[in-house]
Formats: sequence, structure tokens, C-alpha cells
Amino acid sequence: MVRNEIAIDVKNVTKKFKIYYDKGSQLKERLLFRKRNRYEERMVLRGISFQVKKGEAVGLIGHNGCGKSTTLKLLTKIMYPDSGSITMKGRVSSLIELGAGFHPDMSGRENIYTNAAIFGLTKKEIDRRLNDIIEFSELEQFIDNPVRTYSSGMYMRLAFSVAINVDADILLIDEILGVGDANFQAKCFNKLKEIKANGTTIVIVSHSLGQIEQICERSIWIHEGLIRAEGPPKEIDLEYLEYMGMKLQETTAKELEKKAEREAAEAQEAAAQETNNAPEAPVQEEPEEVKKRWGSGKARITGIRALSGDGKAQRVFRTGDRITLEVSYKVKEKVSDAVFGIGIFSRDGIQCYGTNTRIDKLSEFSIDKDGVFEIALEEMNLLPGEYLIDIAIESGDGIPVDYFREAYKIEMISAAGDVGITRIKHSWNIR
Amino acid sequence: MNTLREIYDYRQMIFSLVRKDLRGRYKGSVLGFLWTFINPLLQLVVYTVVFSYILPTNIDKYYLYLFVGLIPWIFFSASITGGSSSIVAQKDLIKKIYFPRQVIPISYVTSCFVNMLLSFIVIFIVVLISGVGFNPLALLCLPVIMLVEYILALGMAMLSSAITVYFRDLEHILGIITMAWMYMTPIMYDKSIVPQQLIPIFNLNPMTHVIECYRDVLYYKQIPELTSLVSSFALGLLFLVLGYLVFQKLQKHFAEEL
Repeated sequence: MVRNEIAIDVKNVTKKFKIYYDKGSQLKERLLFRKRNRYEERMVLRGISFQVKKGEAVGLIGHNGCGKSTTLKLLTKIMYPDSGSITMKGRVSSLIELGAGFHPDMSGRENIYTNAAIFGLTKKEIDRRLNDIIEFSELEQFIDNPVRTYSSGMYMRLAFSVAINVDADILLIDEILGVGDANFQAKCFNKLKEIKANGTTIVIVSHSLGQIEQICERSIWIHEGLIRAEGPPKEIDLEYLEYMGMKLQETTAKELEKKAEREAAEAQEAAAQETNNAPEAPVQEEPEEVKKRWGSGKARITGIRALSGDGKAQRVFRTGDRITLEVSYKVKEKVSDAVFGIGIFSRDGIQCYGTNTRIDKLSEFSIDKDGVFEIALEEMNLLPGEYLIDIAIESGDGIPVDYFREAYKIEMISAAGDVGITRIKHSWNIR
Repeated sequence: MNTLREIYDYRQMIFSLVRKDLRGRYKGSVLGFLWTFINPLLQLVVYTVVFSYILPTNIDKYYLYLFVGLIPWIFFSASITGGSSSIVAQKDLIKKIYFPRQVIPISYVTSCFVNMLLSFIVIFIVVLISGVGFNPLALLCLPVIMLVEYILALGMAMLSSAITVYFRDLEHILGIITMAWMYMTPIMYDKSIVPQQLIPIFNLNPMTHVIECYRDVLYYKQIPELTSLVSSFALGLLFLVLGYLVFQKLQKHFAEEL
């Protein structure tokens, strides 16, 4: 066997979909309502070429609708390309749809046969794998019960066990490593590594970049139907996340702008009404469900940037990176005893860390003109995920001047695979 | 050629689809699988009553004459009409999983075929009871005739199932076509009563030969004419190749059209 044998060869593949405005597939409709058959053609893939070597694992990444799932469907031959060619060497198994053909009234054992048959296994081959499949699914006690009595977790476990035990030369996986509980997930993941070690070629589509980084040697970033970048996952994933972060920033900025406009219009209207009606009407508090910002307003936070070790502004960092938060503010009225603070929260609202200049025993600042404060987080050890940062300026007596909740968002990534909230520095000593 | 090899590799899937279909057909009914036999038996009772008392014919043991042609015809027409919707009915599988798409019409026709075989048990019993008896030599031809009919039905089912995906009306049009086809095939009458100028059309109809062969073996107790068997086999093969080629071409866009 030549080590560099090509298992998958994709050459200049294009694919377009017809999107019907109102599809009629009946004769009458076709003849009578020709206009109804108008459709829009959407290019999903605009010419993609890549090769995967035998035994290599490749991750396809990209935002929703970029064409990565379509690419996978073309590889499995569920669909065919409009132009270009795809060559696959060896038996292909796809973990795209789990539990295809499962019949609720049949027992787990019978369903293993039906399901495995859909993957193209013969009875003999299934007989040989039956024990492995049942063992892997951990459903020994329930295997002769009808599948309709299974919980959804058990159902997926059985389905995954069948799919993963089809010994394929090429394995195509779409976003399915979220099966069952954490233990089972770990088991699936280890099995996948084992399969890979045995020389199976793997192509994964996943949003979990951590998983891709752990299994794949290469990431292919598909963007609007073209390959935008390709290379080691660590580099490509970071590039991709940077890009996604920027997109997010743009959209949130737009939303904020719109909101500001709307509020200004409302304020004007309200003001107009006030002058017309009762001049003494109480000033109404803004009916905000989640109040994101409050304080006396003597000073205002105007800009936040997160800088990497080499001073580049970005939103995505690796666990362990040095991050500097740079906050600029404007002063309306002098604050003679200002305290600056930050708080970092995980997506589910857990405060991971919080501190301010008072806690850190810095003397109070007197601010009377616009300025900038920075906090350097020497080693950002939070584990992968999105984190929201609160930024605050307070006066010495603890009264907020400008408390800005969820002012900034960063994303942490890591290939290490340790779990929890934060990495704790450690060393092992085995005696 | 590669596809043929692959279809063979997927034989277990065909088998399990056929089993699922046969099992599911009478699921929930009290008599269950027995209906496979009761159904043709009751049909026979109806025909016997109608053609003995209401509409007597001059053909001896007409109920048997009709029955040995009708059961094979039901298999053939079910393959075409039911087969036409078989791909559409399995759209969830087709959109999400790869397998050679031919597996679906093949397993549909096969399950109809197995049903016919089971009905043949009833036919044999009736032939025995009616006192017609068997000609063992002629009986040996029966598997060949069945095979020819199977090939023919499969070709038609491939054509109809693939085209229906793009043109759903076909399913309903086929209902009428098969009805007309039935009357254009000598099932309820003998070919000898057909006007002379129509005979060439009847001879072009592959089902004419197939039905006549069945009747030769089971009703007339004679070895069927080799020429008619060969010509229907040739026609059957032609339909199968045509059906296969059309199917192969059309199946590429199934996932998008469904």
C-alpha cells in the first residue's frame, strides 16, 4: 500500500439547486400555471477541488448554508454534481442520518439487521458484527424489546453503534457527535480515533471545532461555495473564528445602530406628546426587560477592544493566551474617586471571574477628561466557549457611574480537551 | 456494471424491505397473514358465482380459466401502479442515505411476486380439486414463465417509479392504463375471439404471451409454445434494459426532486 494513496478526489465540483417559488409537479399545474414554475437557481458550490489521502481525517467547516453539508451529500452520492467529478476509493459509510429505516415495533436486534442492511451489509457480515454492536450500544438488557420502548438516548445509541461498526474505508460524518450522555460521547469519540488509527479515511462536518482539532489533520473552510482556506485545523479554525467574530460584530453593530435610531425616534415622539399633553407627566423609565446599562452617567464607556499578546484586536483567543482589554471612556463631569472593574461570565450566566481596581488595592483615580484604561489578563485560562464581559466605572462609594453589562463578547478555543470552566495549572507526579 | 454488483451487495436490504412489506401488509387485522390466501380464494368464489349463474360462458371450468390468468395479471399491474409510487413513498430514506436506488423498485416488485407465489398455492389446490390435474412436464415450464413475467414487471416498475418522481400524475394515469391493458390482454376471454385485424397488436403485447403460457400449463395441461415464450422473454428483457437505463439517468436528481 502506498502511504500517499488518494482516497477521495474531488475535482472542480459545482452544484446548483432550483428553488421553486411554488412548485407544481402535476400535469395540470405545469400546463396551466407556467408562471408558477418560475424558480430561482442558487449556486451552492461554485467549483470545489480537494483530495483526501487514505487514512487522513479532514474537517469541513463554514457557516450555515456555505455548502459543506452539500459537499458531504455529494460524497455519499445522495446527490450528484452538476459538473466536475468525484472519485471515492473503497466502501463508503456515512453517519449522516442515524437510525434510517428503524421500525418502532421491531426489537432492537431486528432493527440492527434492517439498519445495517441499509448500509449495504449482508446477513453474514451483520451476524459477525452483532455482538460488537450490542456491546457498544450498552443495551444488552433491552436488545429484544421493541424500539418504541426505548428512550431517545437509547435509540441514538443503538443507531450510532450500528453506523460506527460498519467497517468502511471512508467514513463521512455530519454533526452527530452529540449522541447520548457525556460518557457515551467520549466512547464514540474514542471509537472514532480507533477507527482512524486503523487507516480509515474520515471526513467530518461539525460546528464543534474542538472535535475537529482533535481528530483531523486538516481543515477545509468552505465559504459561499468555494474553498476559502485549507490547512492545519489550529490555524484554519482560528482564522475562521476570527472571521465569524467579525461578522458577529458587524451584525450586532448594525442592530445597535437600528435600535438607537428607533429609540431616538421614540424619544422625539414622546417629547412631542409630553409638550402637547400634561407637562407634569412623570418621566417614564424605559421598559427594558434586561437593563444592560446603568449609572450616574458622569463618565461613559465608549469603546472596548480585546488585544492579543502582539497587540492585534480580535475576539477569538486560545486558552492560555494573554489578553489585554482596552476600554476608552468619555468624561462629562469630573469623578474624583473612580474605580474600574470587569466581570467575566459564561454563556449560562456563571461568573467566572470579577475584579476591580479597589479589590486589587489600587488607589482611586480622579478622572476629568476622556481616557483609556487597560487590564492585562496575563494568562486567560478559561476553557472553550463564549464569554460575556461586563465593564464598569464606579465611584469610591460603590455607586455606578457607568455599569455596562455584557459589554463585550469573546470566544475561547482550545484543542486540549480538558473540561470544566477554567484550566487549573497542574503537574503530575506518578510514584 | 458496477451498479449491478452493488445491487447484489445490497441484497440483504432488498430482503429486509420485502420482509417488512409482507409483514406489514396485513398488520393489525385479525386474520393477519392468512389474508394472503383468503383474498384470492374469495375472489375465486365471486367469479365462480358470477360466471356460473349470472353470466354463463361456453368455456369449460371458466372460473379456473379466468383464475390462472388473473393472479399473474394482478401481480403485473400491482408492480406497475404500486411500483410507480414506491420511490416517492421512501423519500425519507432517499434524501438522507445512500444506497443503489434500484433496490426500492426491485424489492417492491419482489414482494408482489412473493405474494403471487403464495396465491399460487391456492391455484394449485383449486386445479387439483377441479379435477383438471397436472402435467408434470408442463409444470417444469412454470418457473421460466414466472421469471419472464418478473423481468417484465421489474422493467415497467423501474420506468414508472423513476418517472413518477418528476411527474406525479403518472401514478393516476397508470390506473387507467393498466385497466385498458387488462382488457387488451386475453385474460377474461380467449384470443380466438379477437378480430383478425387486431391480432398483431395483441401479439405485440408481451402479457398476451405470458398469460397464454400460464393457461397452457395450468388449464390446458400442455407445454407452452416455445416461440411465444421466447418472444415475451425478449420483450421483457428489452423493457428491463430500457427501464434500467432510464432509471439510472433519472435517479441522479431524486434527492432534489423529492
